[in-house]
Amino acid sequence: MSQFFEYKDTIKEGDLVLAWLSRDNLKPITVKAGEVFNTRYGAFSHSDMIGKPFGSQIAIRTKGSNRFGFIHVLQPTPELWSISLPHRTQIVYTPDSSYIMQRMECNPRSRVIEAGTGSGSFSHAFARSAGHLFSYEFHEVRYEQAKQEFKEHGLLEAGNTTITHRDVCKDGFEIKNGDTTSHEFRGPEETKVELNADCIFLDLPAPWDAIPNLTSVISKEKKVNLCCFSPCIEQVDKTLEALEEEGWQDVQTVEIQGRQYEARRQMVRRLDDAIERLRDVKRRKHEGVEKRQKNVEQTSNNGSSVEATESDKDLKHTEKTHFNPFGKGSRVKEGDSNFEWTQVSKVELEIKSHTSFLTFASKIIDRTRDEEQTKAYLATFKDEGSKLSKREQRRLKAQANKDIQKE
Amino acid sequence: MTKHSGIDPLTQISPNQHVLIRLPSDNLKIVELKANAIVSLGKFGAFRVNEIIGYRFGTTFDIVYDGVEEEFVKGTQTMIGKISVLENRLKASSPALENSSENNRGLINLGSVVQEMSMAEIEAMKREAASGDAIISKMIESHKSFHQKTVHSQEKYLKRKKQKFAKFFTVEYLDSSGLLHYLIEKGDVLRVMDISQESLGMALNLANINSNGQYLCIDETGGLIVYAMLERMFAGDSNSKANGKIVVVHENEHPNLDLLKFSSYSDNFIQRHVKTISVLDFFEPAKEADIKSLFKPLSAEEINDLKSNKKSAYFRRLKWYHNQLSNIEVAASSFDGLLVASTLYLPTLIPRLGEKIHGSRPIVCYSQYKEPLLELSHSLYENLNYLAPSLLETRCRPYQTVRGKLHPLMTMKGGGGYLMWCHRVLPAAEPKLHQETLEKSEIKNSDEEGDEDAHKLDQEKQVIKRRKPNEDNEKL
Ligand SMILES: C[S@@+](CC[C@H](N)C(=O)[O-])C[C@H]1O[C@@H](n2cnc3c(N)ncnc32)[C@H](O)[C@@H]1O
Repeated sequence: MSQFFEYKDTIKEGDLVLAWLSRDNLKPITVKAGEVFNTRYGAFSHSDMIGKPFGSQIAIRTKGSNRFGFIHVLQPTPELWSISLPHRTQIVYTPDSSYIMQRMECNPRSRVIEAGTGSGSFSHAFARSAGHLFSYEFHEVRYEQAKQEFKEHGLLEAGNTTITHRDVCKDGFEIKNGDTTSHEFRGPEETKVELNADCIFLDLPAPWDAIPNLTSVISKEKKVNLCCFSPCIEQVDKTLEALEEEGWQDVQTVEIQGRQYEARRQMVRRLDDAIERLRDVKRRKHEGVEKRQKNVEQTSNNGSSVEATESDKDLKHTEKTHFNPFGKGSRVKEGDSNFEWTQVSKVELEIKSHTSFLTFASKIIDRTRDEEQTKAYLATFKDEGSKLSKREQRRLKAQANKDIQKE
Repeated sequence: MTKHSGIDPLTQISPNQHVLIRLPSDNLKIVELKANAIVSLGKFGAFRVNEIIGYRFGTTFDIVYDGVEEEFVKGTQTMIGKISVLENRLKASSPALENSSENNRGLINLGSVVQEMSMAEIEAMKREAASGDAIISKMIESHKSFHQKTVHSQEKYLKRKKQKFAKFFTVEYLDSSGLLHYLIEKGDVLRVMDISQESLGMALNLANINSNGQYLCIDETGGLIVYAMLERMFAGDSNSKANGKIVVVHENEHPNLDLLKFSSYSDNFIQRHVKTISVLDFFEPAKEADIKSLFKPLSAEEINDLKSNKKSAYFRRLKWYHNQLSNIEVAASSFDGLLVASTLYLPTLIPRLGEKIHGSRPIVCYSQYKEPLLELSHSLYENLNYLAPSLLETRCRPYQTVRGKLHPLMTMKGGGGYLMWCHRVLPAAEPKLHQETLEKSEIKNSDEEGDEDAHKLDQEKQVIKRRKPNEDNEKL
């Protein structure tokens, strides 16, 4: 089983963990006793992680200082992986991938085709949820990297993921004995892999060239769902043409917009306090003027510089006690308990305003039924009533009346 | 449901299951198919269930009345027709578009004058006609200016007419999205807390739902969330060997998972994989000794010796006994994820449930409104047991999908809800430092890398600080 999908409690030697440094800084590490994970926050010994439960916070105190460093060690999931993975290409993020999976009814019985593999972001989510994933990549280096990664992550071992080196536009999706693929053929008698795919995801520049190649590998037993992921509207247009030609139905293009908000606080600043503060400033000024006048009088009276310094102190003193309800002039930390705050949400500084267009379609190859088989099957129900239940009859009657009224 | 003589209820239309029927108007209907029964689609006609059994889900059928003996659904005017399979919905009764003028310049709107068939004629035809197909062809023939329309407006016209007179329908497998669409269309959005398909899908992914997980859940949508989780875990298959389980905590005396009635799992299967428990039993479980002192299971012989009138009472008590023991067990267990769709006050609810979640596992909370999740995020920020609560939103924008005329639809459904996502973590023990030094020291992540990184580091620290006020101090 893959460490991505099999829940574990304690960290063992050889496990892949994601070290969480900050929201946008997660580092995958393979735990090995004696090794050290160096970060700008300090050096974390792998041995400190072994035996700890996943999710533990690991704190270190750096030598010779009173400072601390800490990380959280998490078990990888496809969603965390897609935040932390090394980008070799553009990747599909969770708002898109989760919608695509939900819309294509991806579940443990699904047989998924994905092309190209790219950085393998979506592959992990598919591999978790699907019965089988067939992933294709024509870029040799990327293929090798992804294969190695799938192996390390236990996807290949789990037995439900196959990655194949292939230009799917030119050479289609069939996997034959002798092809460059992670599939291990049982021997010469196994000539090809039965794909029977019912869930197709195409994330490549020219999906219209790949679409005609699907015919021989998609399931004849059930409805097949497809999604093409393309950034440009021109690509969508060409895809629609290909889908129409190939007899795909229920075609619809959509876009997904995901947003993330930060939970923040805004200070509650009341009008009365603002007025009071100005009143205070005015009063101070007034007092200041009076004092200065007194000073001037005094200085001119006896010309002493000592007196002047003292009255300066007086001035400072009034400044200190002035009314400052909003902490003006000092740095106030958001949430400082000396002030009142209201909760606000702030959208990210930069949002992903466009990822790609998602074009969905479906196809049923076999629109017949086995009449004999159906007849035999139905015969086992022959004793079940052919009449509508009383309740159903009442409901229909009411419905019919409503229909009539509407017309 | 077992695979029966080659018919697979998960890919083929079978009796004793609920299916989604898409009408010509694109309206949805959920129907329980019973062998030998008749399904009435109201003004769209009626058909015999047996005629669609065995076809693949997603197949579109036409109801035809050609040479059919006149028979009506009892007590209604709906005639029962015969089934014929259509290639697809689009092609349902669409004659080739031809003779269209390049643009519709020549088209003057003469209203019903252009359409020469009278309503009465159409109605009569609907009764007699072979199919919706024939009616529409006839109408096109009599539509004087049809050929003067452009292809695009011809398509639009056809679609409108087709929806009005066609008698075709598509039978779909009832997956969670289909169920949700049905509820939305029925105006039941509030019942499902206004959740959208995209929010539902994202919640399932973020919560890392898979076949073998043990999940804790609160579902105030009447079972939609649980329905969707079950799909992801077992694909509607009662024969699934996976051992995942959902514990559903509910605030009322009895759970409301009403929507599960549409699923096709066996009762036995549901009992094994879905466990419901009230908040009271979950948070204040009975003591095992108390339960055991109240009831003693009998041996097989002792049961045999019971009088038959005592037997049923015994079995009722036995069921209660097992349920009590299983409640105690559930209340003491830990889970692989928490998925909550609840209107209970979240800042006190989530930490209580979160105690039962293993380290590193995701916590996902759905709400119709952003504000309760905002408040939740603020309170979780201050709790060392939760890592990086995020407030998320996802929206799907549908397009008019016509070649050369692609554009976002002019209107779309608002709402769809929000998600909070975080991970359960286990804070480190108190660091080994003298209290005195601890107080004095400025606790900070140390900077071990060279100066060249200083700028970047500063930025990063700011990011951390901004996102989590006082994080540094709180975390240690
Ligand atoms: C944008 S990336 C896919 C990213 C991936 N979905 C993910 O989430 O990480 C597109 C990939 O498709 C590959 N590709 C492009 N054309 C291809 C073809 N005809 N056959 C196979 N792979 C192809 C590219 O090499 C590239 O790695």
